[in-house]
Amino acid sequence: MVMSVINWFEDRQKFGGLIGAFLEEATRSSMTNERDRRISVNANKGLWARCDNCGNMLYVKFLKQNRSVCEECGYHLSMSSMERIELLIDPNTWIPLDEDMSARDILSFSDEDSYETRILLSQEKTGLTDAVQTGIGYLNGTLIALGVMDFHFMGGSMGSVVGEKITRLIEYATQRLLPLVLICASGGARMQEGTLSLMQMAKISSVLQLYQVQNKLLYISVLTYPTTGGVTASFGMLGDIIIAEPKAYIAFAGKRVIEQTLRQKIPDGFQAAESLFDNGLLDLIVPRNLLKGVLSEISGLYLSVPYNKN
Amino acid sequence: MASAVLPQSNSLTSAKCSLVSPSRNSNLNKVGVEASGEFLRLQSSKNGVNQSLHFGLVLRVGQEDGRGCRKPRKTTAMLKKGGRKTPDKEYPWPQKMKPEDLMGSPLRFLSRFKPLPQKPKPVHLPFELPLVDIQKKIQEVRELANSTGMDFSIQLNELQEKYDEVRRDLYSQLSPVQRLSVARHPNRPTCLDHVLNITDKWLELHGDRAGYDDPAIITGIGQIEGMSFMFIGHQKGRNTKENIYRNFAMPTPNGYRKALRMMQHAAHHGFPILTFVDTPGAYAGIQAEERGQGEAIARNLREMFGLRVPIITTVIGEGGSGGALAIGCCDKMLMLENSVYYVASPEACAAILWKTAAAAPQATEALKITAHELVKLDVVDEIIPEPLGGAHSDPLTTSMNMKTVIMKHMRELLKMEPDPLLAQRVAKFRKIGSYQEGVKVDPRFKRNMKPRDAPMEMGEPKLLPSHVHQNLELSLKTASTAATTSE
Repeated sequence: MVMSVINWFEDRQKFGGLIGAFLEEATRSSMTNERDRRISVNANKGLWARCDNCGNMLYVKFLKQNRSVCEECGYHLSMSSMERIELLIDPNTWIPLDEDMSARDILSFSDEDSYETRILLSQEKTGLTDAVQTGIGYLNGTLIALGVMDFHFMGGSMGSVVGEKITRLIEYATQRLLPLVLICASGGARMQEGTLSLMQMAKISSVLQLYQVQNKLLYISVLTYPTTGGVTASFGMLGDIIIAEPKAYIAFAGKRVIEQTLRQKIPDGFQAAESLFDNGLLDLIVPRNLLKGVLSEISGLYLSVPYNKN
Repeated sequence: MASAVLPQSNSLTSAKCSLVSPSRNSNLNKVGVEASGEFLRLQSSKNGVNQSLHFGLVLRVGQEDGRGCRKPRKTTAMLKKGGRKTPDKEYPWPQKMKPEDLMGSPLRFLSRFKPLPQKPKPVHLPFELPLVDIQKKIQEVRELANSTGMDFSIQLNELQEKYDEVRRDLYSQLSPVQRLSVARHPNRPTCLDHVLNITDKWLELHGDRAGYDDPAIITGIGQIEGMSFMFIGHQKGRNTKENIYRNFAMPTPNGYRKALRMMQHAAHHGFPILTFVDTPGAYAGIQAEERGQGEAIARNLREMFGLRVPIITTVIGEGGSGGALAIGCCDKMLMLENSVYYVASPEACAAILWKTAAAAPQATEALKITAHELVKLDVVDEIIPEPLGGAHSDPLTTSMNMKTVIMKHMRELLKMEPDPLLAQRVAKFRKIGSYQEGVKVDPRFKRNMKPRDAPMEMGEPKLLPSHVHQNLELSLKTASTAATTSE
């Protein structure tokens, strides 16, 4: 089936645009799931995606089935937050929190566009209210609190809404004694909210102090491509266990900033997950297809501690 | 002096000598050989310098000086013996101490931060040009008065009044861009300048006990009004040489770990913590990343909310993002009038959002980084006034103003018990942030958010009223009742 579709694709070049249009229509109607259609249309305006690592053409439908991992080289392509929730949470157990929270233009910030316009455009384009989805659900039978950041919304930048949603999630987990998993993907702090974004780092770290240190609960952070700036310098690196995806870009200062400071070229793979692992900054590198199992095994190990007398 | 051919010596040495290359062997025969135990010492006939032959490897290869004798290169050993002495590391105490010196507090001999030998050159910021012109005119009139002997005092007084008026006008209405340039002024008093002005005694402590003493962060114990406090701050240099030594107040992970060690030490013993923020940001370098710059900052952020002593942070210059926040999670945040606190430097922000670094002034206006704007956003608790002309024109008055405000807040915080103090610190940061909720959102804007698919039996997740606030109210109530009953 795959081979014939590839042949069709090649033939499309020969026969021209009209048959190409027909092809999309034909395959589009065969997709039963409403969601699938939206996502495939969003992804590169077509049915094919290109792997960033090996340059291979990947059929989007099969790519999604394979959890956005390239079949040829195993490279982990970016994954939307909805897909990540479906990857980790057992079906029919998800309860989202604070779905309707959205950002406010407190500083009346306006660069080329006003901040308000940018928020509305991003919400329209990505179908997300802000850069994080939080909620609770069962992971292999254990109820966990899960927060997933999404890089598609304004580069995953952390503003007041991200700070507030994650803080409320951690407070809920503290009250209900749930393990916490935060999946991080961010370009840094949201500059349009100024110093308020900076204080979100402190806010989340303060509730993590109550959660981890005073209440001794388990927090696992999963760092995905890319995790930079304020998130690395706050909750990303505070997990009891820090897991990274293979070849994820994890940094505090961006590559360009370091090159400007030092005026020299940075070696390749400098801020990749493997390099951080060698420098002792991560606990584990876990591929996506094993992630759910590993998370449930880890929480099982922490629940069966025999000497809980402290 | 045995002029023995080397292979004839005992088996131990011969085994080692065989490693020496044949070309050098011929030369070695011409110098004296003294076999002594484990290794041979080759003594040049010229000047008695030893060239040790460890396991057959010649360590120093000198040049032949024509007569076939090898001339050894000067080694450090040689320097120490005869000729020029290598200078000792400079110590902060005088070489020869007089008995009078030992009378007062010995702590002043331990501080390496001495006043600069020359007064720093005055630097004029771009917006101060009118003042510079008037100053020049005053100078000209004075010279004229001196050279001709005529009385120009009326003109001088007029010019002086004009100077004061223009200065007052300029400095009472500074724009954010102007305040940023004052915050970055090269002669602005540094952390140690302020600390030495406000403390009666000062003892600087060093090191992160794990490999490095970062000069960009200053830690130490100081005494004000008979009470000891722990001081931590970013230290900029007062001139270019110092700035390079201090790395322009950009700390490495070691600096943050040093600060954390000191803060935990302070909480352990009961020193309240005073921190001073003055940094362009954390150092962005390869080694800093490899050693975990993000992790060091994150750990500081989390641990500061668990320290059971009062913490007051004062921003004395520029507060650069995470690098500043890592020592800035406090009970009370104070800022000097002309200091700034930003999430990203205006230049970086302009380059990213406006796509050109030339838009830095617009970025400065838009980001709302000055003290007055941050008080409105409820991030900063109080502004410390600076004398007219900026802190660099009168450092002592600035330090005294700072001392008054810090001690006022400290006296309030010292009355609190640890648990309500921690709860209040968390509450201070908990309320920062601006969002909207409860407003109906267009379903198109939520189409990629996973809706609820759990059965109704799982219930409705209701967050109980934040237990932080509950604990805070409870502790404040118990504290106040305890106070009233004790009276």
